[in-house]
Amino acid sequence: MNSLIKEMQALAQELLASGEVKGVFGWTKGSRWYLTPPLFIQKAEDAIKLHYDEFAINNLTSLLLDYRNSDDKIAIFVKGCDSRGILRLIQDKQVNPEKVLVIGLPCPGMVDKEAVKDQRHVHDLPLLRKCQECRYPNPVLADRTLGDVQVTKEPGVPIGITAERAIQKGVGSKGKERYQEVKEIEALSADEKYAFWQKQHEKCLRCYACRNICPACNCRECIFESDKKGWVNKAATTTDNAFFGITRAMHVAGRCVDCGECERVCPAGIPIMKINRKIMQDIDELFGTYDAGTDLEEAGPLNHFKLDDPEEFL
Amino acid sequence: MKRIGVFVCHCGTNIANTVHCDQVAEVAKDFPGVVYSCDYKYMCAEPGQQLIQDAVREHNLDGYVVAACSPRMHEPTFRKCAERAGLNPYMIEQVNIREQCSWVHADKEKGTEKSIDLLRMAVAKARKNEPLSSSTIPVTKRALVIGAGIAGIQTAIDIADNGFQVTLLDREHSIGGRMAQVDKTFPTLDCSACILTPKMVEAAQHPNIEMVTYAEVTAVDGFVGNFDVTIRKKARYVDFDKCTGCGACQEKCPKKVSSEFEMGLGPRKAIYVPFPQAVPNKPVIDAEHCRYLLDGKCGVCKKICPTEAVDYEQKDEVIVERYGSIVVATGFDQFDISKYEEYGAGRYPDVITGLHLERLMNASGPTAGKIKRPSDGKVPEKIVFIKCVGSRDEAKGRPYCSKACCMYVAKHATLIKEKMPQSKSYIFYMDVRTGGKSYEEFYKRTQEQYDGQYIRGRVSKIFQVGDKLIVRGEDSLIGRPVEIEADLVVLAAGMEPRADAVALARTLGISYDQHGWYTEAHPKLQPIETHTAGIYLAGVCQGPKDIPESVAQASAAAVKATGLLSKGELTSEAMIAECNEAVCAGCGLCISVCPYKAIEKKKVSERVHGQMKERVVAVVNPGLCQGCGACTVNCPSSAMNINGFTNEQILAEVDALCQR
Repeated sequence: MNSLIKEMQALAQELLASGEVKGVFGWTKGSRWYLTPPLFIQKAEDAIKLHYDEFAINNLTSLLLDYRNSDDKIAIFVKGCDSRGILRLIQDKQVNPEKVLVIGLPCPGMVDKEAVKDQRHVHDLPLLRKCQECRYPNPVLADRTLGDVQVTKEPGVPIGITAERAIQKGVGSKGKERYQEVKEIEALSADEKYAFWQKQHEKCLRCYACRNICPACNCRECIFESDKKGWVNKAATTTDNAFFGITRAMHVAGRCVDCGECERVCPAGIPIMKINRKIMQDIDELFGTYDAGTDLEEAGPLNHFKLDDPEEFL
Repeated sequence: MKRIGVFVCHCGTNIANTVHCDQVAEVAKDFPGVVYSCDYKYMCAEPGQQLIQDAVREHNLDGYVVAACSPRMHEPTFRKCAERAGLNPYMIEQVNIREQCSWVHADKEKGTEKSIDLLRMAVAKARKNEPLSSSTIPVTKRALVIGAGIAGIQTAIDIADNGFQVTLLDREHSIGGRMAQVDKTFPTLDCSACILTPKMVEAAQHPNIEMVTYAEVTAVDGFVGNFDVTIRKKARYVDFDKCTGCGACQEKCPKKVSSEFEMGLGPRKAIYVPFPQAVPNKPVIDAEHCRYLLDGKCGVCKKICPTEAVDYEQKDEVIVERYGSIVVATGFDQFDISKYEEYGAGRYPDVITGLHLERLMNASGPTAGKIKRPSDGKVPEKIVFIKCVGSRDEAKGRPYCSKACCMYVAKHATLIKEKMPQSKSYIFYMDVRTGGKSYEEFYKRTQEQYDGQYIRGRVSKIFQVGDKLIVRGEDSLIGRPVEIEADLVVLAAGMEPRADAVALARTLGISYDQHGWYTEAHPKLQPIETHTAGIYLAGVCQGPKDIPESVAQASAAAVKATGLLSKGELTSEAMIAECNEAVCAGCGLCISVCPYKAIEKKKVSERVHGQMKERVVAVVNPGLCQGCGACTVNCPSSAMNINGFTNEQILAEVDALCQR
């Protein structure tokens, strides 16, 4: 892992020093042993601050949106899951692929510090659930790669210098069970489902963290901040929260890249991915398996007009 | 706040029987924004419309809601009424309390309750209505007719006679279509060629008709009034300007090919005209069979041609032409009888179809009009007809009736008896359907004067014994099996859509049914129009028809097409999509989802952090947009809206329903 960090630092240093890019998005070691927060550097000498480990969970891709009006080229480090977010932004025409340098990294699997109660003695933290369910551990798109990882557009097993650790930890071991939670909700009666989601939406603070981290939430003006249309009240009532939650899910329907960041960042612990996954499952069943953000040429089943579309609903 | 009026219609007793209209009008007075409300027996009638106009003026209404029948029925009426009262016609709403309430419910109290809910929603929407206006589009005063069978020819002649330019296009190199293959026509037994060829010549010579044969439509862009049609003119390898049609090349060409026009019953050459009366009567070279084009040997036609018209170097030519309207008249294919294995079609040469028999009876056909068996050239004596082959047969995927077969079988039986008085025709049928002027009389004559023996029942098997075909079936009227030793079996093969009908429909953007027949806009009231404005249907491509019906529909299509062309400009739809450029993120998802190719990208400049930046947004072409709404539901940023059905208006309706 240390050699990989050195490679990252050297590359960032070189890119910034040569002027090829004007900024680099990566991670740095935070103020706690379990924190590896995002870092944006613009000077070559800051490259040494870059860090990468199993706490570099943050998907950095939505940060690129801050540079969508910039003429400068920006470099960004991505894990497999993050790279699908880049693809989302390119497909949505929010990022000019010529203005971004994507550096693909091998992923060791991110760990879940919350899973262990006594955090003073943590040597072998378990993987995050999303990493256990991971189907795209390698970047689906990258201009450069480090740590022997390879660009892989199809679902697969981890590649690169961290692969052994990732596989041993169980990255992707539950890839086939990713709709398990959806099935559990589907088994409930309509009233039970309603009660379940009411309870979840009651908790929502409307902080919009889920929206802000999401690479698919890239509108110029979010309807939840446009008061003139009267879509939704600003007060965080259960009804309005539910309206927000469902609308957000439909907004990313067929576009969600399954990175799971919305659910991870939710301070209220709302299982947002349950509803995202439900939509994914429906799309898979109606139109055939489709993974958003894996193929630049394929806009997705909801974004085409095809005369031979299945029309079960008609 | 907008001042809204409410007008509740009784529709005689249609609504009033199931809805307390007076109560509905009374309750509506308390809806937000409503300043006037009343009910009346017939709102659409002149006094009703006057009542509305008076109320608009007296109460200074900004808009109104009519609770009545379906907007499909009377929305135009109430829009015009609004215009007469000085309002923008899009400031009104019509709410359907007849088809969607009174007609489908029996309980008057609940019907009243539902009407009130529907009305409350409509009022909430009307309060958010904005004046809309339509733009105008110039019309290209030229029509294209695709397919030059009898329907296409008739349409072209009628359009041309009305004073408009028309292009008559066919993929074969002669016009005439299926009717040219037919010998005689029921119920009057005129010779088909005698009535068709004068029309073919008329079409060819008409100053307003441009004939484009041996050509196919490959792409259609644009919209009503201005279709840009890409036409591929197939290489003929004969220069039509030089060719005089002398026919020397055909005589000398050494390559014989089975003739499609003669249904494979006779030969043609590799350079050929399909039939003697062809229009244009100039040959083309069939590249698949020409010896010179295949392996560079021969070249006889080039040597013999006195005008040096043969040009082996000719290539397909692609042209793009603009038309105001399009008539589709692409006809049909005959059902492939080899799907009926029990009838031995394809295995026994003497099991043929109706079209084969037409060619055998035709004086200019392969047998010069003498009916001879394809197998050994013997004159048949016992002839069996089997009806509904590829019609009314769900197992074969053809549940519909092909409509013309009952009559053409009667015609065949009559003509055979006339030609060969010693012969006997047996006709197996399920039902005899002879709706049509003088049709039933013709059928009766076939039975009574021409000795046609009708046997009600299906044939289970045909097999060969010696040179006879044994037809085994059942006479279901007497409930006994029957067996006939036939010399010739004629299957009344039904009609099916052209093999590439669906592909053409997709090129044109018109709809088709599960079989591939093109769908009319309304089965009763718009049988000529398609769902795509400016494209009309003529003849069998819309569904099985006989010649008189095809011709009638062809003339109707001509009227529709010229009606459109006679307008200087078209009014575009007002309720179409509009992009809010400030919100549009330029993702382009609307572009890929639009079925009408109505959305394009455009660049806009704006100031960002003190710098001018260019970005891409979507823009809607008002001529192409049909207001279907696919883009509005797909737009992730809600930048797309349908005017008159904006997201805000729909949300207002939902709110109104929830707040009752």
